[in-house]
Amino acid sequence: MLNIKNLEAKVDNKHILNGLNLDIKPGEVHAIMGPNGSGKSTLANILSGKNGYEIKGEIKYDGQNLSELSTEERAQKGIFLAFQYPLEIPGVNTNVFLRTSLNSVRKARGEKELDTLNFLKLVKEKSSELGINEKFLSRQLNVGFSGGEKKKNEILQMKILQPKLAILDETDSGLDIDALRIVADGVNSYKNKDNAFLIITHYQRLLDYIKPNFIHVLSKGKIVKTGNAELGVELEKTGYANFI
Amino acid sequence: MKNFYDFKVDNIEGLSAQEKEFRNKELDLFNKNGFPNKREEAWKFTDLNTILSKNFANITNDYISLKEKKFELIKEFDHNYLIVLDGILVSNEFKFEDKNKVLIKEYDYKKQISVSNQNSLNLLNNALATGGYNLEISRDYKFKKPLVVYNYFSESIKEKIISYKNSLILNENSELTILNYTDTKTKNNFFVNSFDYLKLKKDSNLKNIFINKDRCNCYFHNYLKSDLEQNTNLDTYILSTGLKFNKMDIEINLNEERAKSSIFSALSLGSEEHQEIKSSINHNFKNCQSYQKIKNVLNDQSRGVYQGKIFVKQEAQKTDAYQLSKALLLNDNSEFDAKPELEIYADDVKCSHGSTSGSIDLNLIHYLKSRGIPEKEAYQMLINGFLSEILEKLPEDNLKKFLVEKIGRQINGY
Repeated sequence: MLNIKNLEAKVDNKHILNGLNLDIKPGEVHAIMGPNGSGKSTLANILSGKNGYEIKGEIKYDGQNLSELSTEERAQKGIFLAFQYPLEIPGVNTNVFLRTSLNSVRKARGEKELDTLNFLKLVKEKSSELGINEKFLSRQLNVGFSGGEKKKNEILQMKILQPKLAILDETDSGLDIDALRIVADGVNSYKNKDNAFLIITHYQRLLDYIKPNFIHVLSKGKIVKTGNAELGVELEKTGYANFI
Repeated sequence: MKNFYDFKVDNIEGLSAQEKEFRNKELDLFNKNGFPNKREEAWKFTDLNTILSKNFANITNDYISLKEKKFELIKEFDHNYLIVLDGILVSNEFKFEDKNKVLIKEYDYKKQISVSNQNSLNLLNNALATGGYNLEISRDYKFKKPLVVYNYFSESIKEKIISYKNSLILNENSELTILNYTDTKTKNNFFVNSFDYLKLKKDSNLKNIFINKDRCNCYFHNYLKSDLEQNTNLDTYILSTGLKFNKMDIEINLNEERAKSSIFSALSLGSEEHQEIKSSINHNFKNCQSYQKIKNVLNDQSRGVYQGKIFVKQEAQKTDAYQLSKALLLNDNSEFDAKPELEIYADDVKCSHGSTSGSIDLNLIHYLKSRGIPEKEAYQMLINGFLSEILEKLPEDNLKKFLVEKIGRQINGY
């Protein structure tokens, strides 16, 4: 589904990624761990199509060159990034945003747009699964939401948009234990053989709930070790010192 | 240099000798200084003289013949209406109201006030004004439906100045919502210089909204003077996107206790549009409130100006006055100028002011796009979001829906 070959990225002449390779197949869950500044979020941003990076190397998504697709086309084709810091957008109602987003994606896929009634039904169902109070949805997008509420809102968007490849950028940070479990349940219930996850995290604790098939250690812009779920447990004990 | 205008009091028919004398005196005063430029404090950012001289060859006030025209009315919500063509009241309909409670007639220049303010455009209005209306609402009468004032301009007027005065009196405890709706399709250039007088008597309530149907090549100056008595409320909504030039010169006098006034503006300007709001809120009595919130979105080479003055008289203790302007600049060639002016002589007052301007946060655009929303729509969402704070304040559901839809079209560039 996703094939990254020799990816290099620079910002203001500073090298952040230095020849990163990664293959993700449908049905897989990959976790990327690594110390601060190792390039984890840069990778997520590049995959989402954020401007400002000078990129070399190849990223293919479903066989297509990702660099040919705009941010919105990537989203329409099923790439979803749960932001590390979800942005507050004053004056934009959360429900209106969710509906515009869903219908943009549906339209691009050649599906019929959802009318208000069916949309509200869908949102009600998905938000109750995540324990999100409906009142939040009539508020301005992320404005005045707590850290945990913002993260849950990201997972709600994921469940509504139904992406093929979901990238979670430190979705666990700032979550209390209950919220962490709810978010993990949200991911687990969405996971199936056709979609894939790339989970960026600092801590093993999210991986206690969402079992990854692979754990990669990212250091200085490269994947320096790949292992199975046990690698996370090991890292929790030893830290990243061996990889830096 | 040859003047680009030529105004004559003799072009106006039916004036008494006394009126002619007064008008000629006013015209002489105007001619001495001409159109305002940046030397006048109220025109700090704008040289109207230059703007007009660039866009007009010879503005005159010769008589304009009225032609029969089919007027297109708004269907989206029930309303009463006045039809004003080139400043002249041509018909009225108050089918939702008790007609005995509404007095409508033509403005009476022999009896009614002239503008005392020495602003040169007011002098010019005193010299040339014809037409206009005089509307009075009876005591205790609350309008059931809004009143739309259709301001039509005929397609034939070109290089003309249109001057008129209107007056509106709300008697004790009466209530009214007015939508001032400018409608013209003409590509011709013309200048409108109008004067509106509003009198709100004790306990009355007026919502006064300004919006345009389409873009047009006209230049507007509207002086709005309001006198507010005890416990009155005046809300002014300026949504007048689409004019080549527009200046709303707003004078609000809070003359008695608990008079309250608000100005809300949401403008989305493009091409070379120029819009100004110049307000003078005079707190002449204790315990009055004023509130101003101005939001401009500026694209292309458009320009927005806000000069907000709050004047607090020595006896106007416990004044609560607020003003804030915010501009969203979408293009490097657009410009927003703000100048708060506070003149306070009382010592127990709450006065605050602020102004911000900035461009769209591209991180927000990226966030929306990362959810599949196309770039153009993402911009529109953010612009809508920026203006929504004002739009939420609009009154009456059906009217609000109509206005929000209109503003949506303006944001999308018509």
